[in-house]
Amino acid sequence: MIEVSGLTKYYGNKKAVEDLNFTISSGEVVGFLGPNGAGKSTTMNILTGYLSATSGTAKIDGMDILDDPIEAKRHIGYMPEQPPLYLDMTVEEYLNFAAELKGVKSSSKRKHIAEICENVSITHVKGRVIKNLSKGYKQRVGLAMALIGDPDTLILDEPTVGLDPIQIIEIRNVIKELGRQRTVVLSSHILSEVQAICERVLVINNGTIVANDTPEKLSANISGEHKMNVQIAGPQSSVMSVLRSVDGMTSVALRRDNEDGTANFVIESDPNVDIRKPMFFALAKAGYPILSLQPLDMSLEDIFLRLTVEEDTASRGARKKVAK
Amino acid sequence: MIAIMKRDLRSFFTSPIGYVFLAVFLLVSNYFFFGYNVSGGASSLSYVFSSMLLILVFLIPLVTMRLMSEEMKQRTDQMLLTAPVRVIDIVLGKYLAAMMVFVIALACTLIWPLIVTMFGDPAVFDIVGNYVAMFLLIGCLVSVGLFISSLTESQIIAAIFSFVAMLALFMFSSIASAVDNVVVSAVLNWLSVFSRYSSFTAGVFSLADIVYYLSVSVVFLFLTARVIEKKRWA
Ligand SMILES: Nc1ncnc2c1ncn2[C@@H]1O[C@H](COP(=O)(O)OP(=O)(O)O)[C@@H](O)[C@H]1O
Ligand SMILES: [Mg+2]
Repeated sequence: MIEVSGLTKYYGNKKAVEDLNFTISSGEVVGFLGPNGAGKSTTMNILTGYLSATSGTAKIDGMDILDDPIEAKRHIGYMPEQPPLYLDMTVEEYLNFAAELKGVKSSSKRKHIAEICENVSITHVKGRVIKNLSKGYKQRVGLAMALIGDPDTLILDEPTVGLDPIQIIEIRNVIKELGRQRTVVLSSHILSEVQAICERVLVINNGTIVANDTPEKLSANISGEHKMNVQIAGPQSSVMSVLRSVDGMTSVALRRDNEDGTANFVIESDPNVDIRKPMFFALAKAGYPILSLQPLDMSLEDIFLRLTVEEDTASRGARKKVAK
Repeated sequence: MIAIMKRDLRSFFTSPIGYVFLAVFLLVSNYFFFGYNVSGGASSLSYVFSSMLLILVFLIPLVTMRLMSEEMKQRTDQMLLTAPVRVIDIVLGKYLAAMMVFVIALACTLIWPLIVTMFGDPAVFDIVGNYVAMFLLIGCLVSVGLFISSLTESQIIAAIFSFVAMLALFMFSSIASAVDNVVVSAVLNWLSVFSRYSSFTAGVFSLADIVYYLSVSVVFLFLTARVIEKKRWA
């Protein structure tokens, strides 16, 4: 369980995150979603005790990461954005070191390491020097390191960044599997990624949480089509009754009378229905033209625009690679 | 602490630097040993050891430069600092690793006392004093080198600054004796970790000197830990 309250971090005068508040229950798989520079890594570095917050608190399983760092850190396995690998060591030496560092009993060490290597499928490269491994395998070694000591909370910073599509799918499956018995927090700037893995998403932008919901509800929000601001020419009351008669409409409210024969309405529809077409035809039939139509919650929209653009280029690149 | 010591020690001796270090140390020190004790016929080890002081100015940075710098550069400090260990244990692990390097190097010279006792009649305090003093002095210099290494991500910069620091400490003792002003001379002498060395080899195990060496080491280890802690608040 992770409890964060009022977490704020400044680098010098530069604000990185501000007043973060959230709770992640045991066993949840949660994603931090946000564009580059949003503050995801900063937050994770604070949660793991690598950085100290300027103000606010973070508790892991009830232990404050500042007041009781050693105990709190025992409960965390952290894979930073760039896995902290000693390139001159072999995988086995490295994991041995991690086990000693984390105080794993030497009697159970061998078995523990062997199990983890199986879990993340690196058993066959155990004897290789880390420097010579591919990016995907390095990432897995980083993940294996996080798993040493059997922590109940895993914090993974951009676990799939820089991997090829096949590796991405593989590591996602590994993470899903790990998430069965553990609390997992992972970060990503790719929407589809958190959708594929996480039960809940915290959207972070400019250092603040702008949304906290399930991926499904977020997608609905993002599509932006179930809550819109629409400007229509025509008498308000009849326009409103036409709007209400459209199938799937859940609420209609007058937002502003423009005093030129037009008015703005806020409409909400069933998230599973694209209301735009039936609304257009209904209004056209009644002779009330739509002058403008905007999805609401523009800030979230903006963020996701940036996210999805990156996602598109990433997945397009991925598809190209697969095609090759 | 032990895990970190083992890893650093291993890493030092699997890199070329480890071999360069041992080679330089053994070549130069044995050169002096042969010069003074074998051909020169001296039974005291003090000549060799005091000649070795200058080599330390070069060798200490070689051992200490990567200790913290490389961790920060490779971001492996993230692994150490998010593991359930105290910062001071990390610092001590690194310190002990560097000290072990010198213990290994000095162990290779233990043949000297054998040779000089076989062919001469050296004073026990001469042998013991030299080794004890060398060890204390190295402890002191390593802590300074470790501290400097915690200040920068670049091991080259760490090496250069450590070298300059070692050289300055080395020269303070010579300057101190040349300066007329009593106060300046006293300050320089106090700063000079090297000048205290000679009293040991004269067989004087002055408590003040031992305390001096130990406390300088402790202070710099503490400062290193502070620097690392401080980074979290950046
Ligand atoms: N060490 C640092 N010093 C100064 N600014 C930093 C530092 N690390 C990150 N930042 C800034 O803090 C903000 C958040 O960064 P980060 O947490 O790395 O974002 P993300 O992981 O979401 O990409 C960015 O604007 C970044 O430029
Ligand atoms: Mg990041």
